[in-house]
Amino acid sequence: MIDVRDLSIRINDKQITDHVDFNIPRGKIITLVGESGSGKSMTISAMLGMLTTDINVSGKVIYEGRNLLDVSDKDMKSVRKKDIFTIFQDASNSFNPSVKLGRQMYAYSGGRIGDTTDVFNVKMLPVLDKLGLSWDITEQYPFQLSGGMLQRCMIACAFYVEPELLIADEPTSALDMVLQKQFIQLLIQLNEERGTTILLVTHDLDIVAEAAHEMVVMQQGRVVETGTVETVFSQPRHAYTKRLLESRF
Amino acid sequence: MTVKWVGKRMVMGIIVLIIVSFLSFFIMQLAPGDPAAAFYGGNAQTLTAAEKERITRAYALDRPVAQQYVAWLGETVKGNLGTSYKEGRPVSEIIMERLPNTLLLVSVCLFFIIIGSIWLGTVAGMKAGSIWDKGLSTFSIATSSIPAFWLGMLFIYFFAVSLGILPSSGSSDIGGDGGLGDKIRHLIMPASVLILTHVGIYARFLQESIKKENSKYYVKVARANGVMERTIQMGILRNASIPYLNYIAMTIPSFFGGSIIVESLFAWSGLGQLTVKAVVTKDFPLLMGSIMVTGVIVVVSLLIIDLIMYAMDPKLRKGGIR
Repeated sequence: MIDVRDLSIRINDKQITDHVDFNIPRGKIITLVGESGSGKSMTISAMLGMLTTDINVSGKVIYEGRNLLDVSDKDMKSVRKKDIFTIFQDASNSFNPSVKLGRQMYAYSGGRIGDTTDVFNVKMLPVLDKLGLSWDITEQYPFQLSGGMLQRCMIACAFYVEPELLIADEPTSALDMVLQKQFIQLLIQLNEERGTTILLVTHDLDIVAEAAHEMVVMQQGRVVETGTVETVFSQPRHAYTKRLLESRF
Repeated sequence: MTVKWVGKRMVMGIIVLIIVSFLSFFIMQLAPGDPAAAFYGGNAQTLTAAEKERITRAYALDRPVAQQYVAWLGETVKGNLGTSYKEGRPVSEIIMERLPNTLLLVSVCLFFIIIGSIWLGTVAGMKAGSIWDKGLSTFSIATSSIPAFWLGMLFIYFFAVSLGILPSSGSSDIGGDGGLGDKIRHLIMPASVLILTHVGIYARFLQESIKKENSKYYVKVARANGVMERTIQMGILRNASIPYLNYIAMTIPSFFGGSIIVESLFAWSGLGQLTVKAVVTKDFPLLMGSIMVTGVIVVVSLLIIDLIMYAMDPKLRKGGIR
């Protein structure tokens, strides 16, 4: 579905990623694994066309026959709006603190696919119900809800939009263990029920084992290993992957 | 909730006014000179000891300061601001003659300062790195460093002396019809000076506030998800305007200070000019009256700003703690 080829990112003289290559197959959950500073989030930002112009990016991100690194700002905005849904790590800061959640969730879901607020009200209700959220939250402000609730509001929007690709950048690292598990179950549900392709960025191998079909291991800006989760877990080839797996209790 | 909040703010405002009156009253006593002499103005040397004694007694100037203050406060609460030493008329009457002019000057200036700074600050803040962004920084430093009295004198020189297109002072023409056109012609210069020396710094504050908001996490999340830029910018502007309003509230008192200088320079017949006159002539009741009325205007302005902030910031309304 998306082919990342030879993606190199450089800020001034610092090489952030070096010839990163991986493929996101349609309908799968693929994880990008690696320690902090290995270039995972920068790779995501580059794929989304969110890096500032002073950052040097080379390589290709092929999506539906187009290189996303070459398309115009306007086209990139449209891809971000219609095809890709991105969830970030810090849910408590992901919403505007002074706007009611209902309005913001509309902007993140119905608004981006052209639904009116009336349609949104009808369609969002069962989604919230499914995720164990009450309609009352739409009348609340972000600071009145917990991080876990807010992360579920985000995923509710993803369920509503049914994007081609869901990118989740360390979505569970601010959540406690119980909420982490719930959240991962929701991602699996989204993938199985709606066929949404998911790119999950994480450093937690338990999550990889539980949710992912394939994994890409990054270290210091390079991809050191790719493959199905079963293969990599049973026969890790790279020393770093072996270390990662050994450190897992 | 709202009523309780407003009530609390009003009580605080009243406390502020009492502190202001207390400090002003006692500081006034420290000034050199004799208020009794003020009655005679330029002819103070003709004041006889018996006459001085009579005035001192009549206005209770021989009583302890604390007693004088309590007496003054008691009368003020009843709405009686006393009688001017110099003019022999009720202070409230004199103030009411001047108040409309001050309110006109201050409200016109604040209106244009707020509209202008919101427009400039938003354009400059949203377009980081643009010519607006850099230009506003320079403009604000330049205009806020120019002393109002100096800019005022330059204006008088150019527009009144050299070009002769605007009146150099006063708030209406002597013998004129006193109509709106006349008022506006007199208002242009003092208002321009106040607006020019303030608009840049307010705009700059909003600009920085917008830039800071623009780099926040929720903005990144919204942009990554293709939320309409207009929606994002409205959200940024709303949040950025809360510290901006706070800044206006903080600087309102000094803004009134600036207006006193401008009123005196242009002989704009308002409260500021009256205050300066009262200081010079040691007309204590008049001075206290002008200070208190200015104080009330400041406190009411702050209350209005607080109410706007209360309406805009849900954290204030909802208590804010999760």
